[in-house]
Amino acid sequence: MAEFDVGNGTTVEIDEDGFLQEPENWNKEVAAALGKTEGVEDLVDEHWKVVDFLREYYLEFGVAPMIRKLCKSTGFKLNKIYELFPSGPAKGACKIAGLPKPTGCV
Amino acid sequence: MKAQAKYSYHVEAVDGQERPRRFLEAFAAILEHSNYGPVLEHYTRVSAKCSRCTASCQVYEASGDPRDIPCHRTELLLKVYRRYFTLAGQLKARLYDYYTLTDAHIDEMAEEFWRCTACRRCKLSCPMGIDHGMVAHLARWVMSEIDIVPKALLVSVREQLEGKSKNTSAIPVAAIKDTLEFLEEELEEVFPDQKIKFPVDVEGAKYVFFPAVSDYLMEADTLMGNAAMMHAIDASWTVGTQNLDGIDYGLFYSDRMWERIIKAQLAEIKRLGGQVMLIGECGHASRSAREGMQNFIAPEDRVPVVNIMELAHEKFRQGKLKLKPDVIEERTTYHDPCNIARTGWIVEQPRVLLRHICKDFVEMDSHGVNGICCGGGGGTVSIDEIHEFRMMIGGKTKAEQIRKTGAHYVVTPCANCKKQVDEIIKAHKLPTNRVGLHDLLIKAIDFS
Repeated sequence: MAEFDVGNGTTVEIDEDGFLQEPENWNKEVAAALGKTEGVEDLVDEHWKVVDFLREYYLEFGVAPMIRKLCKSTGFKLNKIYELFPSGPAKGACKIAGLPKPTGCV
Repeated sequence: MKAQAKYSYHVEAVDGQERPRRFLEAFAAILEHSNYGPVLEHYTRVSAKCSRCTASCQVYEASGDPRDIPCHRTELLLKVYRRYFTLAGQLKARLYDYYTLTDAHIDEMAEEFWRCTACRRCKLSCPMGIDHGMVAHLARWVMSEIDIVPKALLVSVREQLEGKSKNTSAIPVAAIKDTLEFLEEELEEVFPDQKIKFPVDVEGAKYVFFPAVSDYLMEADTLMGNAAMMHAIDASWTVGTQNLDGIDYGLFYSDRMWERIIKAQLAEIKRLGGQVMLIGECGHASRSAREGMQNFIAPEDRVPVVNIMELAHEKFRQGKLKLKPDVIEERTTYHDPCNIARTGWIVEQPRVLLRHICKDFVEMDSHGVNGICCGGGGGTVSIDEIHEFRMMIGGKTKAEQIRKTGAHYVVTPCANCKKQVDEIIKAHKLPTNRVGLHDLLIKAIDFS
């Protein structure tokens, strides 16, 4: 566990892999700061479309959606998601959306 | 006090005091209540340390590191056994002030036994027949009893056994149901006349379905193919919402966890009155269920364990699953998950199906029983912090093998292998697409 500097004078706790420790500490500034750790310098509208959907799904169901559902709901193909988030939907997009680190064979 | 050493993988901060004593106590308890004792007794006598195993280890082939010689690694545990659990070792220790187990030795084991992918290919070239994969499993088990175990596996098992979700990916039931509805809608788009369903909590269904739960997040095509195949053969099957994860990481590091998980899975089959444990596309889930059923369940309580590829193959041979020939035009190859192929259990069945539906099916140079591990076996694929090792050492040979085939599709019917092969394809920039068997099968099913 470590303190992660959001850059606006606040810090949040992250785990060894840089995932937010407490998903409720998430906000847009945290997302932008986490994005920089995953090769996303600036979050533009297309990023937010993915991040917002992940966030909404997570708050409703307590887990990330199936990747196919993410693609279908955002209208982005998987390779587009990889373009937006170089480290992929699970490690990249989910981290930026403040979800906890996925466990199991993910 | 935290554990002294920092390993290549994360561990939870634990009590690092008196580890040698606690290691030996755990080892003694395991030997007393298991049948590993006679095996180690034999191995300590016959181990020739001849290194012929190096010829078949893909980790050693890529790393050239003496630590990766299977019999060198096995000796780390045999040395402890010989010293503390054989009469000769105990005598020698008194007479000659011989070896004593130290923290440094434990740290060496902690690092080296997790560089092995437990694929058991080395067993094929060991003249003494030593199962180095089994020794790695046992060493990891002893270490896990003193809290040395990769955190990625530990937290997944904890969620499966003690969490609310009862599965390794912590997917709540509501999310599973939402996903199944979504997949049914997807299936309806492709097959509007078929009404393909994922039956949920159907009591008395013959087959209770246990895929790797990660499929519900990652593998839409595999699951849709599974459901389509079950629909085509008119099978009575169900997903049980109380326990639906086929994953059993106990196979990788602890008989104790292995037993608890298989018992929880079996309880769900009994709750539903099911007759057969049907495992999805997953190698370690299949082997952990099949061997776990034998090892840990009383004979009168056991149910048969069937992998879904076996079922598809059986129905195809009986003419009950109709598949259109040569539907897949692109070149296709098949990667054997070690846990189902090494013993020869599932080698031919998927190939019979693939040769029928693919126009251009090719084999990798070394395959089947002699297949080469994806490099993510033995639980290592879940450990993200060793990604570089999995790509450049563990998975190097597999990447070369896949490239040599020139295939458009590599069929990889295992959740572990799927994740690893996806990452290999990216890391080695292979021009290949990774799919599951049922991802292709669904394109060939003749529902008429």
